Amino acid sequence: MIRLFTRFAVLALATASILAACSGGSGDHHAVQIKDAVVTLEGPLFAGPNQGQYAFKLDLAKELGSAYTEGMTVESARITAVEVASADSLGLSSFRSFVVSLASDNADVAMQEAAFKNPLPEGASRVSLDVSPEAELGSLLQQGTVYLVLDADLAEDYLEGSRSLTLNLSFDITIKS
Amino acid sequence: MLRKFTLWAASALIAFASLNFELQEAPGDKLIGVWEPSNGRARVKIDRIGTKYYGRIVWLIEPNDPETGLPKTDKNNPDPALKNVPLKGYRMLKDFVYQADGTWSEGTIYDPLNGSTYNCVIKMKDKNTLDIRGYIGVQALGRTDVWKRLAVQPAKK
Repeated sequence: MIRLFTRFAVLALATASILAACSGGSGDHHAVQIKDAVVTLEGPLFAGPNQGQYAFKLDLAKELGSAYTEGMTVESARITAVEVASADSLGLSSFRSFVVSLASDNADVAMQEAAFKNPLPEGASRVSLDVSPEAELGSLLQQGTVYLVLDADLAEDYLEGSRSLTLNLSFDITIKS
Repeated sequence: MLRKFTLWAASALIAFASLNFELQEAPGDKLIGVWEPSNGRARVKIDRIGTKYYGRIVWLIEPNDPETGLPKTDKNNPDPALKNVPLKGYRMLKDFVYQADGTWSEGTIYDPLNGSTYNCVIKMKDKNTLDIRGYIGVQALGRTDVWKRLAVQPAKK
């Protein structure tokens, strides 16, 4: 009986170890959102790609609340959703495509494309972008300031002023203590 | 009264100095502009994001794919999820850091023709001419292309 129990325990332990290894490590997963990030494309704007940016800092203590302990850092991060909406009354009809990238000031960390939509659905006032599952953004989010860069492709000139767009992003981040 | 005025003047001076600092151009900003590679088939606009410099394709001599008739996309991108990203607007120069001697390094250049990314260093020969050297591993084993600045200057921020 004891022998049977020992075998069962060893088997259970091995299964648990395999499951832990397959789940991608010992870090805890957390969903983090960047809400209502307003990106302004400074006018006059010409037909073709135009760039706008929004700088933010990921505050782990604020994001994790009571679960945060001193020394926690981002181990890895993936983007899970990006939504772009018009922040003015003009809608999105004059845009042909969007690309969202992340960058930092650290010379060792390269800019990374994270999501795009090409072409945009007709008549939409907000659009969900296709995210890149291969984009590993952990090293970018570890940096102090992260630059969220939006490349917006305009179908025609807009010389009357600037355009503003609102972005909502969701990340799945893995934390290591 | 005099003390109050001195404090106000000091605050105003600090505020002005901060504003001036924000508006100040970085030494590497002379790279900002629209540039044309030697083959004349594209134009690349270089901007600063944070402290680093990036270049986007803003014009193509042949913007549409001859096979489909649609605007070209980055079909050779090694990331399958990004193969439908438009080529016009693609950021082919990334992460260049100014080194204070007319050189920008630590960056990469992407060749959309084969989907490969190379290490790259940019040297400004004169204010309208760049040597763009792409390489793998060591700079000696690379290739240099000469880019010319287009007369159109982007509006100053």
